[in-house]
Amino acid sequence: MRSKRTAALLALTVSALTLSTAAFAGEVVWWTPNWGEARAKELAGKFEAANPGITIKMEVTTSDGLPQRVLTALQSGGAPDIIEVQHGWVNGYAQNGLIIPLDDTIQDKDDYAKAAIDYVSWDGKLWAIPYRMETRAVVFNKADFKAAGLDPDHPPQTWKEFVDAATKLTGNGKSGFAITGGGEMGNTITGSLPYIWMNGGSIISDDMTTATVNQPAAVEAVTFYTDFLKKGLSPASTLENDGTAARRLFIAGAVSSYLGGQFDIPSIRTENPAIDIGIFQTPHPDGKETAGVLGGWSYIIPKDAKNPGEAKKFLQFMNTSENQGFFTDTFPVRISSQAQPRFNDPILAVFKSMLPFARPVPIHKNWVQISQAYFDGLQRIMLGDQTPQEAMDQANEEIQALLDS
Amino acid sequence: MKSQTGLLFVLPALIVLFMLIAYPVAYTGLLSVTDGNGHLVGFKNFAAVLKPRVTTQAFINTIYWVFGSIVFQVVLGTLTAILLNQSFFGRGALRAITLIPWVVPGIVAATTWAWMFHTEFGIINYMMTGSGVLQSPIGWLTNKDTVMPVLIAINVWKLFPFVAIMVLAGLQSIPNDLYEAARVDGASFWEEVWYVMLPSVRPVITAVTLLLVIWGLNSITIIYAITRGGPANKTLITPIQIFRLAFESFQFNQAAALSVIFFGVAIVVVFIYIKVLSAQPGEAK
Amino acid sequence: MTASATRVIAQPKMKKPGLSWPIILIGSILVLVVCMFPFVWMGLSSIKTLKELYSVPPIWWPAVPTFDNYYKVLFESNIPRYFLNSVIISVGSTGLALILAIFASYGFARFDFKGKPYLQAFILVGQLLPTAAIIVPLFITLRVLGLVNTYWGLILVYMIVTLPLSVWMLTSYFRAVPVEVEEAAILDGASRLGVLFRITLPLSLPGLVAVIVYAFVTTWNEFIFALCFATDSSVKTLPIGLAEFSTEFNTDWGAVMAASVVMTVPIALLFLVFQKMFVGGLTAGATKG
Repeated sequence: MRSKRTAALLALTVSALTLSTAAFAGEVVWWTPNWGEARAKELAGKFEAANPGITIKMEVTTSDGLPQRVLTALQSGGAPDIIEVQHGWVNGYAQNGLIIPLDDTIQDKDDYAKAAIDYVSWDGKLWAIPYRMETRAVVFNKADFKAAGLDPDHPPQTWKEFVDAATKLTGNGKSGFAITGGGEMGNTITGSLPYIWMNGGSIISDDMTTATVNQPAAVEAVTFYTDFLKKGLSPASTLENDGTAARRLFIAGAVSSYLGGQFDIPSIRTENPAIDIGIFQTPHPDGKETAGVLGGWSYIIPKDAKNPGEAKKFLQFMNTSENQGFFTDTFPVRISSQAQPRFNDPILAVFKSMLPFARPVPIHKNWVQISQAYFDGLQRIMLGDQTPQEAMDQANEEIQALLDS
Repeated sequence: MKSQTGLLFVLPALIVLFMLIAYPVAYTGLLSVTDGNGHLVGFKNFAAVLKPRVTTQAFINTIYWVFGSIVFQVVLGTLTAILLNQSFFGRGALRAITLIPWVVPGIVAATTWAWMFHTEFGIINYMMTGSGVLQSPIGWLTNKDTVMPVLIAINVWKLFPFVAIMVLAGLQSIPNDLYEAARVDGASFWEEVWYVMLPSVRPVITAVTLLLVIWGLNSITIIYAITRGGPANKTLITPIQIFRLAFESFQFNQAAALSVIFFGVAIVVVFIYIKVLSAQPGEAK
Repeated sequence: MTASATRVIAQPKMKKPGLSWPIILIGSILVLVVCMFPFVWMGLSSIKTLKELYSVPPIWWPAVPTFDNYYKVLFESNIPRYFLNSVIISVGSTGLALILAIFASYGFARFDFKGKPYLQAFILVGQLLPTAAIIVPLFITLRVLGLVNTYWGLILVYMIVTLPLSVWMLTSYFRAVPVEVEEAAILDGASRLGVLFRITLPLSLPGLVAVIVYAFVTTWNEFIFALCFATDSSVKTLPIGLAEFSTEFNTDWGAVMAASVVMTVPIALLFLVFQKMFVGGLTAGATKG
């Protein structure tokens, strides 16, 4: 008796609840990260005023768990109309048929930085509109440089000068240059891959058929990177540090330099105003050019978007030269937007000078697993399990298996 | 007659669970034998996930993680329950405090511990070097010999309160005359623990242990938040591997295949456990 | 039953042999230190300034304790709203799971029927699939039911999460109640349901409280389902609120710690009140009845 009543009650509640809140025509649901919320509200308001009949419904996302949340929504057909994601994720979505191409949406494509466009293109189509890009450079403490007898106005340019400087900076409880080796692997890929590129090496060949991470150019760069820890120039905690931890150690005065981004500058200034911040380009091997991994964010429109037409219209509004420059956190992808006064701050000059050397990571469907194999190899070296050659030989074998599958 | 009444009691829960779980189970099963385009591929996905050596390593780590955690959770939890079952001043407050590790949000607890164990920032190294216990700071989370034990210790800290509360509830339900009988025989306190308390709460402890096994098999928060399975996969457990495959590498089919294997192993463990249990006395008539 | 209960009360209670006080004292201090150490660190962190949070070497006590973080959490963030959402969702799912679990557990504990071990195992099936595997199909189920971004969606999901363990725990508590008590009542003409609600449940009150605590705490702290199934701020829960103190490259740790204290202390206080129910008061007399 009782159980029947419970069951009936349940059935009743379930049926009462199916009156769902479906999106109505003309509403664009936009997932935007919390750090740009204020600017997003302003632009959405302007757009709504100019386009009666279309409403923008913002849903704020957080960086914790964002990839899981986006992927779950894309796979289950419950996706919004526009999502902001990192460039690096776009290809996975495109190759699994989860988003729609946006060749008909982008305007003035020639005005966009080519590296960013390449990053979100696949199979001859453009799968996202990149609006933000950045790359890293070395952030250093000018006072520490002077104390070590180094000239902060002439920071190191080559690998050799870099190691010499880091060696001089190390001591009295300070580490010269903090590399990363833990946390989210993206930090360490961004921090170490440029050295392989500068040295003429790569993780996989350009035609994406052969693993090349155990070739001499790559192994030499990996040795260069991991030696900062092996020689005690990077803190003992390197294997548990991500980019944020490196910045915190820098703010705490425990390290004199680390690979950072322009987004780090406000944090350093508020948390330790006493530090005189300097920035230099990531050093390169003698006679070669510097390099950096291109980072940044793009807009995508999911395959199951309810109102793709209105969403495209909104994206065109968001990506006028003026609005893109207003909305981005770091540098805009449009060259014309970069002329806006907010990007002329002298502290940004070095970061801006790194942009032409920024490259996207290879566009391969197994890239995440490939970089994981490489990252595991780096950690084995730092743990002291293997020599750089042994670690990269093993990584090479694993990566080759991923390329062949 | 009787059997039907029993089934009636059980049915609502079973129906609700079935309605909500059937689809996910079927969905995962189907994904595991198809490719990205929905074509049947047989056991190809299974072969693909079983091949890399990291799968074996993750499996071994999982066993280490689950059993290492459970032994300490059950022993410490039961001892705490016995303590909290005594009557003394401040008992209520201590019971509430015991609950704290379990109530603190998992991610925050994990991050706080990671911070306290940090080689440079960590208060633990600071206290230990300051008091002379250690000569120089230890890389608790960067040393391959300490990282897993530290993670297990954090997991034990997080969940022993659950065991303590559950066992305490069992202890509180023990009829007084059982104690009286023991006391007539002149039993000491520890004899009482052994002959009265533990036998009475045995069903609770066995149930709790099974649940801890299942939780342990599916708990990724602590490890993922602190080491993400590193360094060099030293703390990679199978659920994290599945998580990585599904959400980081877009290998939905391989993730499903690994889930099915995992599911199979888990269900065998659970079933053996239940069979062994139902062979024991204590079952209701 | 009444007579014997009175007798127990009337008699001066015989003193149970217990742990000696030094052992109780040492044990209590140990439990206190182990449970409180990280929590005290969190509490201290919540009253530090940004610069003091991460320093080498670490510092225990802030130079000037600040309550700015609490002000921010209580008056300038979404935490109060999410607190309300969390209460509604946790109470709802705990209540729903409890009702179903009471019946199911009683069935498992007191009756023998065909296929019982299989059904008991089946209860756990949903728990054996990794979260990463069930999250997408569960989302699809909710979408078909129209429950994405609703309280009911999360309530149902959390009910599935907590129901299996609740059933298992309650079954073991019900089994601990002597069958003779129930049989006596049935002989007096009580119905099965009457027995369950008037005798078995009151006698298992400590177990019931423990299961409520379990279900409540589990839903209170769950992150990944809440993140994926509640994207609108009208239904977001506290763990999502914690994540909102992080931006892409920074986390306002002071605020996270303050919010965690705000999330944790009310539950501990609630339990402080509830734990008085942790007494099997009736048991003594009842078994003799």
